[in-house]
This record gives sequence, structure tokens and C-alpha cells, in this order.
Amino acid sequence: MRRRQRILVVLGILGGIIAGVVVLTATSMEARGPISSLLERSASAFGAIEHAIRRRVTGSARAERLAWLKRDSVEFLKSPNRVLFGAYDDGIPQTLDGVIDLEQQLGTTFSLVHFYTAWGDKPEQQFPLQLATAIWDLGSVPVVTWEPWLDDFESVTHSNLPLRGKRDFHGLSGVARGDYDFYIDEWAKDAARFRHPLFLRFAHEMNDPYRYPWGPQNNSKEEYIAAWKHVVGRFRAAGANNVIWVWSPHVAYEYWDLYYPGAQYVDWIGTGALNYGPIAYWSKWWRFDEIFGQKYPQMSSFGKPIMIAEIGSLAVGGNREEWYRAALDDLVKKHPAVRAILFFNKRNDQTVTSQKIDWTIVGDSTLARTIGAGIRRLSRPMPVDSARR
Amino acid sequence: MRRGDAADRDLWRHREAAEVRTRDRVTLGLLAGVGIVAVLRLLDWWFRPEHVAQLWLFVALSIAVWYGISRIILGWANYLAIRKPERRDAPEGLSVAIFTTSAPGEPPSMFEKTLAACERIRYPHNTYLLDDTGDPRFHELAERHGAKWLELIGVPGAKAGKINRALEMTKEEFIVVLDPDHIPFPEFLDRVLGYFDSDEIGFVQVSQAYYNQSQSFTAAGAAEQTYGFYGPGQMGLFGHGASVAIGANCTFRRHTLESIGGHGIGLAEDLVTAIRIHAAGWRSVYVPEIVSRGLVPEDLGSYYRQQLKWARGVYEVVFAEMPRLFGKLSWRQRLSYATIGTYYLSGPATLLYLIFPYLFLWAGVQPASMQFEGFLTTAGPVGLMGVIIYLTAQHWLCHPATERGTHWRAASLKAAAWPVFVAGTVLAITRTDIPYIPTAKEAVRGRFLVLASPQLALVALYLLTLVHVVKMRLLTSEGALELSSQAVWGMVGFATVPVLMAIGPIRAAWESTRIQSKQPWRLVDVASIGGDAA
Repeated sequence: MRRRQRILVVLGILGGIIAGVVVLTATSMEARGPISSLLERSASAFGAIEHAIRRRVTGSARAERLAWLKRDSVEFLKSPNRVLFGAYDDGIPQTLDGVIDLEQQLGTTFSLVHFYTAWGDKPEQQFPLQLATAIWDLGSVPVVTWEPWLDDFESVTHSNLPLRGKRDFHGLSGVARGDYDFYIDEWAKDAARFRHPLFLRFAHEMNDPYRYPWGPQNNSKEEYIAAWKHVVGRFRAAGANNVIWVWSPHVAYEYWDLYYPGAQYVDWIGTGALNYGPIAYWSKWWRFDEIFGQKYPQMSSFGKPIMIAEIGSLAVGGNREEWYRAALDDLVKKHPAVRAILFFNKRNDQTVTSQKIDWTIVGDSTLARTIGAGIRRLSRPMPVDSARR
Repeated sequence: MRRGDAADRDLWRHREAAEVRTRDRVTLGLLAGVGIVAVLRLLDWWFRPEHVAQLWLFVALSIAVWYGISRIILGWANYLAIRKPERRDAPEGLSVAIFTTSAPGEPPSMFEKTLAACERIRYPHNTYLLDDTGDPRFHELAERHGAKWLELIGVPGAKAGKINRALEMTKEEFIVVLDPDHIPFPEFLDRVLGYFDSDEIGFVQVSQAYYNQSQSFTAAGAAEQTYGFYGPGQMGLFGHGASVAIGANCTFRRHTLESIGGHGIGLAEDLVTAIRIHAAGWRSVYVPEIVSRGLVPEDLGSYYRQQLKWARGVYEVVFAEMPRLFGKLSWRQRLSYATIGTYYLSGPATLLYLIFPYLFLWAGVQPASMQFEGFLTTAGPVGLMGVIIYLTAQHWLCHPATERGTHWRAASLKAAAWPVFVAGTVLAITRTDIPYIPTAKEAVRGRFLVLASPQLALVALYLLTLVHVVKMRLLTSEGALELSSQAVWGMVGFATVPVLMAIGPIRAAWESTRIQSKQPWRLVDVASIGGDAA
């Protein structure tokens, strides 16, 4: 090759690389490109079709047992006339079998299935279309706890964001400012495209300074409220009116009510009710009334239905059966605004302690009978407006 | 007139690959650049810790996948060096010998045509028939066509041994090694000898083309496998200074052969000779022109035997020649020979590809936990660029009108040959020798069940697996059904591709059970071949 040719060849290669970078990465500027998005949708549709065919062949679908649930009505789900039960299981997202095993043990069929998903760039951090569709096809309504882990976005692809490690400090201001709209809008669009109602529990336990980066150690309550309103606004702008908003503080801390974004931005009040027993220096055996009952008057003062998004008690340090009985007995009378209870079926919980905690009730058939009886008592319709004041 | 006649006559004209213009290079560079970006994107996506499901299986899958991708990249690197030598007229007065060999069992009627065509080669030369048949007809035949008859019975080293013995018995300065199934055109030597004007040139290789590729699926597929190599492939190797000798139709300088102790011996004697010549500092020229046409295996059995011979032989070059000669080659030659030497690893790689879906569908074992859509969107562009560049490079085929295409027969035949390639690999590693048998010149009937057994076994396994999967899907709990749908049916999809590709070889095997040798040379009219197409 002569010199001129060589130079041209090198320029050609360089031009090709530049063109390639532009063309190929243009699609990955968004968290999920148009092609992968299309493939994801068709994969999800394929799974739904297979499920439908199987239902034709074998019959006996779970969805039939939930025929009473007016799940297509957002209005119904915003103020149901009975307590809806559900569960999270740590087999998710691979399988929903754990949820089904638990409900069979309890002799019920859960209306709600709860799972957790984080913000970020990875495919599994985008709108969980397959999982939501699978839950819907089983007859239930998905409840999504949506955690804004801002550090999960790559610095390289998002050069406008602060560097990782510095992002969480006043991070919610960034959310409110629209820095993360590239992600929120995409998620909201996909959620709208899902069409069916779903509960969204965004940035939960925002008032706990020890747990999550979106807590008060990094953000003021004003920043939190601004972020919440911004996110809800983006969803409304995207036409995602199928999303039901669950605002979920940690009520063990004082002043949690100051984080309330306002009645127009919230559909449900959520909280956790987990009894850790004496497993750590900071915990003791708390009765259900201590964890939840004493906070109920203030929680119900917002005039919204209440969701106990994580309910559970460990077996050590007290009588677990008694704990659950106290929680479920007289719930309608004592805590009529409670309209959803989600079991926390996690085998190896390591989120707050170094040891692995087992929240499941596996192998305790007496307990299962007690809880099952409680669920059946609570599964009767009641006057619609008793949750609202 | 039959429709085939015109096309057949078309084959017997002199053809040459297109010139390489600067803008072609820019196009190839651009495409390769885009391709590299696609590969980098796949690389970045592939090796992520969350994709590892079973470490050892992931390593195995990665090797199979990245072996394939590295072949694609090496192909691109080769195309970037693509080069056509500038035409050189043959000077007068060179002394030239044409060696062609006959072995027991080869049909004399074929030699009629070969020797008659040699006689018609314009440039003054001597033709020698290196004969070990012991059959008097060959002697008579040689005399009738003005060829010198050298009886070389019992010379060790097969074809190469005979060539070396004949070298001792002759004096010509230039030696053409012509395979006996090849019918040379009259202009053969005129197109070749000019390139020896530089004293550094050790050998000049011309394209290898065929005239029986339309006889069967096997013949078409086997021929398609070589079109790219004898067009842009060897032109790229020439650009890298590593155009290789290929047994047939190679013209050597006597002094060059003597400097390396004679023609190399072994199953891949051509490649052995080429690498030794390059290591001794000689250069070579590849002339992308069709100045002869020969035979390609017509039946599946012959094709497999030929491939086994080559696989075993090429590995021998890797194990026996390359370590010794590596230091004496340029880095581009090293890369080129390493590329050629690892071609048959596609056998073990194909075997791995075949196994993985079944491991998952029967045992639930998975090498990688990848999202199917992620794989499609990252590997898809690499495959697409591979196809685009492959088709672009077809611009330099020696005879695009008959050679251009998707070459799907070639691909299915190559995939089908995995047991042969694996056998070649194992035999090479264990240093097990196999006998040197010249590739059959006439179609040999084979038994369907023997020839198609790997493919039939695959189809049977596939159908059985389908039944198993449907049963499994009926028993899968409702809670897991939808969430496992993508993984299971994606794997079924992966298992389906090789089954579709097995259809071709099964057809080829069926054809091979009823194939009749038509002795295609009988239809060749030696008097009318050669000359440029109108």
C-alpha cells in the first residue's frame, strides 16, 4: 500500500469506529434501547401466551379464585371495601412459587404480590414488565417498592450527574430538579404501557437516618417532598394513571408525619410492622400494638387507606402465634383503615443485622392455621367509606 | 441446448478477481471499524460478573463464543490487507516443468484430459507424469500427450515423496505441481511466470476452482467453502506476506524447494512447504486468477475423509512446524498461520454449542445467566457486521457470477463436519497417525445411516427434548411458568438452529447413497477451454 492509501485506510477505520460508537450507543443512551425494549415486550407477551395456552390445556387457574377482585378498577384499589392480603417472597424474580406455597399454607389466595426493585442502569433495574405481567396473569395486583439508589447509575454514561459516592448527599434535590428524569420518564412510560393498575411504594422509610441513602442523613424533608411531587408529576405527565401511590414512612421515628407530600400526591399510607425480638442490641420483643397500634390514630388521620407493607415476627423471644393473633384479631374494629397486609416471606434477611434472619413461617402449621383463620375473618367486605373520614 | 451448457462453458474461461481500489479499502475499513465497535460492545456486556451462573461452564461457553468471534475479527483483519499483484508478463526462455502424479485406482480417462490440456499450455515447458500405478496404460497415455513418464513405485512420502524424487531426476528451474484432477488453461504459465522477476519470490500460487460443483449438495457446499478463501482470503494473506501454497497449481522455484530440503511431506504437505519457505525468508505471490479447474468431493464420505486428512495435517503444522519456525516469521505471517492452524477448532466449539441447550433443558444447568434480549441486542450487531463484511468482500471472488451468495450450504456442511474436526483435533493431540489417501476423484456411494448418523442422532435428541420440554412446561407450577418462559424457549431456539442446519447434510447423505460417478471430465472439451470471457 502506498502512503496515501494507508492514510485513507486508517481514516476509514477511524471514521467507522466513530460512526459505530454514535450509531450503536445512541440506542443505549436510554437505560433500555428501543430494540431491547421491543424484545422485552415480546418476551413478556410470549410468556403470557404460553400461560394462556397452558391454562386452556390444564385448567384450574389461580386467577379464577380471585374473580371477586375488581382489580381493573383503579378506583376500587384506591379504597377497597375489604382487607387485601399479599406477600413478598424472596424467590422473586425467578419464581412466584414461594408466594403460592405460602398462600396454600394459609388457605387463601393473595390479591397482592409485593416485590422490590432499585433504580439504575441495568436491565433488571428498568420497569419489571415480565414480573408485573406474570403477577397479573396469576390474578393478583403487583405492589412495587421502588428504591432510588442513585449510585447505581454509571458515571460514564451520565456525566451530568455528580460522581458516584457524592450523589446521595442532597440527592433528592437532584431528583426534584429533574436530573433523573431520563430514568423516571422511561419507567413511567413503561408503567403506563403495562395498562393494569399497580401499587408503587416509592422511597420508603425516608425518615429513617440509618437505613437508606434517601434518608434524612442526606436530605431535608422539604427535599424529600419536592422529589415525591416531582416523580408523581412525571408519571401523570406520562399518562401512568394506573399507578397507585403508597407513601410509606418508618413510624417508629418521631415526626414522620412531616414528610407527608399532600393528599393529592398520595393514595395510600404504608408502613412496616416487623418484630425483630431480642436479636440485636437495639431491639426487644415488641408487641404489634407497640409497633403499629399506638401509631394508628395518627396514621389514619390522613384519611387514606393503610397498607402494612411488611408484616412479620421472628420466633425468638416471645410467642409468635400470640403476636400474629393480636395483629389480626379485631383489626377491623380497632384499625378499620387498614386495607392491605403484606407478609414478608424472606428466608435470609441481612438488611439490618449481620446475621441472617428467617421471617418465614415454614413448618409451623399451628401458626399457619392461626394466621389463616385471621385472614378469613378479615376477608369480608365492609362499608366502603370507613377508611376515609 | 441444455441450460447448463452455456454455464458450463462459462466456467472454462480465464477469470480474475476485481482490482482493489482505494475506495474499496476505505469501505472495508469503515465496515471493520463499525464491526470492532460492535465487538467491543459485546465484550463489555459479555464479561460481567452477574452473567456467570456456573463458572466452569461459563468459561467453556465463553471460549466457544469468543473463538468464533475471534475468527470473524481475524477475517476482517485479513480483508483489510487485501491485495492483488500487479500484472507481470512472463519473460521468454524460462525452463519449466509441470509435475502431475497418478496413484493406483485413479481413472486413466481423467489423465487424458489433464495431459491433453498440459500439452496445450502455450508457454514452452515439459510435462512429467509421476506414476506409481504400475499400470501400462498410464505410460502409453503420457507418451501420447508428449509428457515424460517417470515411474516412481514404492517411493515413501506419498505425493510429496514422488515430487522430491522427480526433482532429483529433472533440471527445470520452475516446477508446477498440478493436481491430476485439474485441467489447466493454455494461459496458465503466462499468467504465473512473470512474478518470478524478483529473486526473493519462492512460489506463485493461483486460485483453485472447480467444474463439478453442480453435481451434488456436497460438491456445491464444499466448493462454496473455498470461494472466499481463493478470493479475498488469500488476497488478504498475500497482503500480509503469507499467501500459502495449496497443493494444487502451485509454481515453485527449484532453488527454493531445494533450500528447504525439498517439498514438505505430511497430510498438509502444501502448508508445511509454504511455512518452511516463508521461514527461510522467501516471499510468495498469490494470483487471484482462474487458470485451471478441478474436482471437489461429490459425496459426503469423500468430503469427510478429505476434511479429516486436512484437519489432522493442519494441526501437524501447528504442533510440529510452528514452534520451530515461529521466530523466523514476521508477526503478520505468524498471525496468518495461527489463523489457518486453528481453523479446525470450530469442531470442538460446535460441539460445545450443541451441548449447552440440552444441559439446560434436561438438567437445568446453565453456564450463563444472561437476558436473552441482552444477548440479541449485543451479539446481533456483531453477526450482522460479519455478514455485511463477508458479502462486501465477495467483490473479490475470482468468478463472482458463479461464486457469489450466502454460502449456506457451506455453513451447514461445516457445522455437520464437527465430529470429523473433533476427531482431527484429538488425533493430532494424541499424535495418532492416519494414512495419506488422495481425495477421491470419483463419487463413492456411502451408507445413509453411517454418513448421517450425527445429524440423525441430533434430530432424534431434539424431538425427544421437545416432548420433554412440553411435558415439563405442563408440570411447571403456575408461579414459575411465565418467569421461566423466556429462558426455556430461548434455549429451545438455540437448540433449533443446529437442527435446521442439519437438514442440508442429511440431504447430502441421502444423495450420497444413490450418487453415480458421471466422470465429469468426460464432458470437458479441452480444445475450447481458456481465453478471456467475451
